[in-house]
Amino acid sequence: MRPVPPMELVESSDPIATPKRVALVIPDTRPSVRRVQERWVMTFPHLIIRELLLFQVVLIALSIAALLFDAPLEGIANPLETPNPAKAPWYFLGLQELLHYFPPIVAGVVLPGLTVVALAVIPYAKINLTAGPLWRGAGRRTPIAIAGGAFLLVLLFGLFSCWPIVVPTVLVAGGMFAARGGENGGRFRRAVARVSLPEWIMTWFVVIATTLTLIGTFFRGPGWSFVWPLSGAPLG
Amino acid sequence: MNLQRPGAIAEYIRGSAVWKSIVRHGPPDTNRNRALIVFENLFLHVHPVKVRERTLKFSHTYWLGGVTLVATAVLFVSGILLMFYYHPSVPLAYRDMKELAFVVDNGLFLRNLHRWGAHLMVIAAFLHMLRVFYHRAYRPPRQFNWVVGVVLMSLTLGLSYTGYLLPWDQLAYWGVSVGTNMVREAPFLGEKIRFLLLGGNVVSANALLRFYVLHCVVLPVALILFVSVHVWRIRKDGGVQGPYRPDEETGEES
Amino acid sequence: MPDVIDPAALADENENEETSRRNFLGKIGVGACAAAMAGSVVLTLDYLNPKVLFEPASRFTAGSAGDYGEGTVRFHKEQKTFVIGGPAGIWALSAVCTHLGCITRHLSDEGVIACPCHGSRFDLEGNVIHGPAPRPLPWLEIQTDAAGNLMVDTSVVVPKGKVFRA
Repeated sequence: MRPVPPMELVESSDPIATPKRVALVIPDTRPSVRRVQERWVMTFPHLIIRELLLFQVVLIALSIAALLFDAPLEGIANPLETPNPAKAPWYFLGLQELLHYFPPIVAGVVLPGLTVVALAVIPYAKINLTAGPLWRGAGRRTPIAIAGGAFLLVLLFGLFSCWPIVVPTVLVAGGMFAARGGENGGRFRRAVARVSLPEWIMTWFVVIATTLTLIGTFFRGPGWSFVWPLSGAPLG
Repeated sequence: MNLQRPGAIAEYIRGSAVWKSIVRHGPPDTNRNRALIVFENLFLHVHPVKVRERTLKFSHTYWLGGVTLVATAVLFVSGILLMFYYHPSVPLAYRDMKELAFVVDNGLFLRNLHRWGAHLMVIAAFLHMLRVFYHRAYRPPRQFNWVVGVVLMSLTLGLSYTGYLLPWDQLAYWGVSVGTNMVREAPFLGEKIRFLLLGGNVVSANALLRFYVLHCVVLPVALILFVSVHVWRIRKDGGVQGPYRPDEETGEES
Repeated sequence: MPDVIDPAALADENENEETSRRNFLGKIGVGACAAAMAGSVVLTLDYLNPKVLFEPASRFTAGSAGDYGEGTVRFHKEQKTFVIGGPAGIWALSAVCTHLGCITRHLSDEGVIACPCHGSRFDLEGNVIHGPAPRPLPWLEIQTDAAGNLMVDTSVVVPKGKVFRA
C-alpha cells in the first residue's frame, strides 16, 4: 500500500483559504478481472417481443380451453335445499377437507391465518437468507432435530387423525434423511442433496396443500364421506 | 411519391406532420430510437431501456409472473364484456347466465374464457410464488416486494371467491354459504365481518350485490394498485431475479 | 439600579411563544384532519351496515297443537325449522346445522336429523350424536296466538328441554 502523505495541522476556520483534508480515498487499483460480464440488450425489441409472444400463447391456450370445455352451471340457487355434498371452489377444498378433522376456528381461521403470516415473514427470517444444503456442516443434533420435529408433527396431527398431513410429513422427513450423503450420487441425488431446510419446509407445505385439495376434490362424496373417485358416487 | 419503391408509403406517413406530432421517435433502426420507443411511451416506460440478456431466458423465471399478468388482462376484458349482459340481482343473475350460454353470440365462449382464465391466474400466481421462493429471489433488497406478492395472492383468491357467487347457482350459493360461515368462527369480529360481507344474516340478494361490487370494482382496483407497486419495485430493485447463485463473486445476482 | 431589560432576551421569549403558538395551531389542524378521517370511516361503516333486511320473518304460524301428536316431525322449509311432537309436549328445533350452516334433513326411518355437508347427526331433541357439529341444535320459542295457533319465533332461543304444553 502507498504510504499516506502526512497531514498538516492548520489553525484557521476559513474553508476556502485553507482547505482541510477530511478523508483520503485510495481507489482499489488491484489488477482483477470481473468474473461475470453482463450482456445488456435493448428492451425493444428483445423483451417486448417476448412479452407479445407470451400474451399470444396464453390467449390462444385459454381460447382453445374455452372452446373445448364448458364452465359448469348447476340448478338455480335454492336456499332451502343443501346439495349433497356441498363443496367450496377447488382452491378452498383443501381447507374444507381440513374442516373434517379440526374445529372450524382452527381449520378456517387459525391455520389459514398462520399460513399467510408465515408466508409474509419469509424474507425477514434469517434462516431463509443464510441456509445452505441441509446436511452441509450438519452436527450430530441435526438428525435428532429433524426426527424430533417430524415426530411431534405426526403426534399432533395424528391426535386429530389427520392422515393427509401425517403421511406427507413422514414421507418428507424420509426424503430429508435420504438426501444425506447424496453429494456423491447421480444428478438427481446431487440435486436433492442441495435442498436447504427452508426449501424442505416449503416442499412439505406444498405436498400437504396438494394432498388435501386432491382428497377434497376427488375422494369426498355425500356427507363428506370417503369415496373412491371412479365409484360413481356424486362428487358435488 | 414513387409507389414502386417498397416502404415509400410508410416513409411518407412517417414524414407527415400529423405523424410527427404523435410519434416523437424514428423507426427502430438505431439504438437511440429503440430506447425512445420504450422511454417515451407511458405504458412501456416502466421497463428500463436496456435489460440483462440473461433475464430474457425462459428458464430464468419461466415467465410465470407474465403468465399471471396475461391471465389478469384476459379476465379484465372478458369480465367487462360479461358485465354488459349480467344483472347482479336475484333471480335475474341465473337467468343471465343461461342467456349468455344459449342466446348471446359468443356468450358461452366469453364465460368459459373467464372461468378458465380465473383458474389459470390462481395456479400461475401460486407457481410464481413457488418459483420466487425456490430461487430465493426474496432476498434483500426484494423483501418487501415478496410481501406485496403475498397481498396480491390474497387479492387473487378474494377475486376468485367473490366471483364464484355471481352465477347464483347451487354450487355458488352453498360454496359461499359454507365459506362465510367459516368467517363467523373468527373471534370477536367474526359475526360482524360476516354481517358486513353479506349485508344481512344469510346469503341473499344483498350478498350478491356486495360480492358483485367487490368483484368488479373494489378488488380489481386494489389489484391494479398493488400490481403497479409490484412491477415498479422489480424495476427499482434491478430487474427480475433468477436462480440463486451463491458462488458468484460480484454483488449483483440477477 | 433599575432592572436592565435585555432586548435580545425578550426577542427570544417572543420567538418561543410564536413557535409554540404555531405548534399549537398546527396540532389542532392535524387533530382536525384525524378527526375528519376517523369520522369518515365511522360514517362509511355505518352506511355499509344494513338496518333493514328483506329476509323471511322470524315468527310464523305452525298449525295447531292438535297437529303434533306424539312422534310427529314437521319440517317448515322456508323458516328452516323442525316442529316436533313428543310425549311431554311440542318443541321447535332450528334445522340449520350448528357446524357450518347447511340445512339438515330428517331421516324418518332412522329417527335422526342428518346434515349432508359433513355428516353431522342429531337426535330428535337436537343433541349431537355424530360428526363435527360443535353444539346441539337450538330450541326455538313456541307460543300460541289469539286463535290458538302455534307461533314459532326463530329468533328466540329457549333452553333445551323447555317443551310447549298445549
